Amino acid sequence: MKTPREILLAQHRAAGDKLDKIRDKFVAGLNHRDTKAQSSISVLASWYLGGSNAVWRELIFPRRRIWAGLAAIWILIFIVNFSQRDKSELAVKALPSPEIFSTFQQQEKLLAELIGPSGPRVAEPPKPFLPKPRTEILKLLTA
Amino acid sequence: MAESEQLPVQSARDGNPAAWDALFRRYQLPLYAYVFELVHNEQQALDLVQETFVAAVKHIGGLRDDEKFGSWLFGIAHQKVVQFWRKRGSKELLFDEIPETPDEFDNAPDDLLIRHEQEMEFMNLLNQLPPPQRSVLLLHFVEDFSLEEIARVTETQIGTVKSRLHYAKKSLRKLLEKKNENAA
Repeated sequence: MKTPREILLAQHRAAGDKLDKIRDKFVAGLNHRDTKAQSSISVLASWYLGGSNAVWRELIFPRRRIWAGLAAIWILIFIVNFSQRDKSELAVKALPSPEIFSTFQQQEKLLAELIGPSGPRVAEPPKPFLPKPRTEILKLLTA
Repeated sequence: MAESEQLPVQSARDGNPAAWDALFRRYQLPLYAYVFELVHNEQQALDLVQETFVAAVKHIGGLRDDEKFGSWLFGIAHQKVVQFWRKRGSKELLFDEIPETPDEFDNAPDDLLIRHEQEMEFMNLLNQLPPPQRSVLLLHFVEDFSLEEIARVTETQIGTVKSRLHYAKKSLRKLLEKKNENAA
């Protein structure tokens, strides 16, 4: 006599080898991931310890195109930044000088003298309240 | 319960490959048996077990209670099976007509013992059950999960699990008895 569990597992025992292979492959993948993570840590350690040669070989040289691309982008950003700064300086220069300001103020004074003093406007006095004639209905009510 | 055994779950969470090896070694065959009996395709079952391993490593951080690793792992496998069914478009496999929860629940899990000559018959009868009942019965047989654990694995109510398990066991017994009568 067997339990259902024993029967079920016995039925599928033949797949054990295939499952072992899947598991071994999977665990090997985990080990590889582990060693890869450790190697990246060692690269960082060598950077801090002054092993610039190793950093050059492992970080920069294999991805030199990416680094070159990044450098080109930065150069482009600097160029755009500088060109915009020049434009803003020009805009500051384009403002009128203090001499032009003083002549403009003089002209304004002259114009004011020619036109004459313009005093403040006198407000119109409020109209007196005139009660409207009462309607016929009101008359009847008051009567 | 299968959950009480000591498993290196914490070590696996820390990313120890040897711990994962031990965990998968423990669960690979029951997991495969469960998945195979639901999809009935060897290669598909192997693929789903592998996918379960991958998902387990990826999501182990989300497992709060180490004691529940087994049911958690079967839960992932169950989800993979459901996804497989959905891809195949077999919607009818996901749902069944659930009869009312029985008043008296057959709570004896290990009362079913099968004679050697009935083994093949048992497997055939198991496959005659509707997939939701089969799923619950397999979880009960293979890992001796509690009702709560089965409910968690299958993402259903405990009442539903109770009902499915009751009717699955009942129909299995009935079928076995009928076969015995015919043989006699």
